[in-house]
Amino acid sequence: MDKSDSGSLDRRGFIKGATAGALAASTTGTIQAQMQDHTDVPSDPALRVKALESLLVEKGLVDPAALDALVDIYENQVGPRNGAQVVARAWADLSYKQRLLEDGAAAIAELGYSGSQGEKLTVVENTPSVHNVIVCTLCSCYPWPLLGLPPTWYKSAAYRSRTIVDPRGVLRELGLELPDDIEVRVWDSNAASRYFVLPGRPAGTESMSENELAALVTRDAMIGVAGVASPSPGEGA
Amino acid sequence: MNSIHDMGGMQGLGELRYEENEPVFHEPWEGRVPAMMSALGLYGGFRVPIESIPAADYLRMSYYERWLVALTEQIIKYELATRTEIESDRPDPASVKATPSLMPAEAREILFRTFQSELEIEVTARFQVGGRVRGRNMHPTTHTRMPRYTRGKTGSVERDRGVFALPDNEVYNLDPRPQHVYLIRFTARELWGEEAPAQDSLYIDMWEDYLEPV
Repeated sequence: MDKSDSGSLDRRGFIKGATAGALAASTTGTIQAQMQDHTDVPSDPALRVKALESLLVEKGLVDPAALDALVDIYENQVGPRNGAQVVARAWADLSYKQRLLEDGAAAIAELGYSGSQGEKLTVVENTPSVHNVIVCTLCSCYPWPLLGLPPTWYKSAAYRSRTIVDPRGVLRELGLELPDDIEVRVWDSNAASRYFVLPGRPAGTESMSENELAALVTRDAMIGVAGVASPSPGEGA
Repeated sequence: MNSIHDMGGMQGLGELRYEENEPVFHEPWEGRVPAMMSALGLYGGFRVPIESIPAADYLRMSYYERWLVALTEQIIKYELATRTEIESDRPDPASVKATPSLMPAEAREILFRTFQSELEIEVTARFQVGGRVRGRNMHPTTHTRMPRYTRGKTGSVERDRGVFALPDNEVYNLDPRPQHVYLIRFTARELWGEEAPAQDSLYIDMWEDYLEPV
């Protein structure tokens, strides 16, 4: 239970002995984004992870190619485009929408999506009178098969703590001003079900194809922190 | 447990910072952490070690740093490697080399496997949809999925989710106490007082053991 002594994970000796090359390798890429959202020294966990992976490989416990495959899935094969296809289908096909609202997991399986953290999926519909927003106050529950891994802000202390007590304020900070008379429903997902918001279909999309509709749908709209904007003139059919 | 991870309703935890076009991982090491967890089959047990991180460290660490703590503790707990091996970065010479349990071709399968699913067990439901329930006033010092803001609050049963093992016990390999989980609706005013908008509400799935009749 109290095995969380992070000090024991520190590898000061390793860091001191690490070559400049190893440090350089760990600080390539999006270091500026890292500095914005991560307050700790970035090279420290990078070195610890590298050492841990090496140990596990040496012990024959993991195949680095399997790790590469998993990372590729996280980065490229699950993500909000899946969810956008589900939304577009629901907008285009009312009977599909009914099935989606009744049994989310079965309905997304029709489109080939299922699995980890999607086992029980509750789809909640935004309407002119009801606005839904998803949060996980205890950790980071999120509908992976439809949205991929959650963004940093979703996992942040600020979002997790404040969304349930001041959803309108949090949404305003994220750029979504809700009318006073709309009903706000916050879904705290940390147990048996994952939640997914079916955004309202914007005006001006009546003649659009499913693929054109899907292109309008953002990750944030499916978490409930944004709406879906009408297409700009010239966009769509 | 009433630790920092149970932060719903707290204030003063900093600004909400939104990053445009955020990458899935900011640094390559971040992706390796959940990948190692999946490859080792440790994916279900990360909450207890994360929730046990002292509050000041928890808030200072990034998300994947917390996961790294959990990964390391799980590796030790399940005796995949010893703390000495991890701290020295080398295998115990006496240890026998294993065979990786996950091959690259199986990666997709393992990622899409469900691990917290409904149980096919008949258990009598103590509460009915449409009924009123109250969150029990309990303060376990161990893992629970009952956020503290629900304690003592009265809500309505919106749905019966079916039967699930109680995570409070399951994570410690204790009696899983299969029981119904319910979707509960609390009004914003019940949770946050009269200044909250009258029409707003919060929905959360709760195990039967977290609830009492009103």
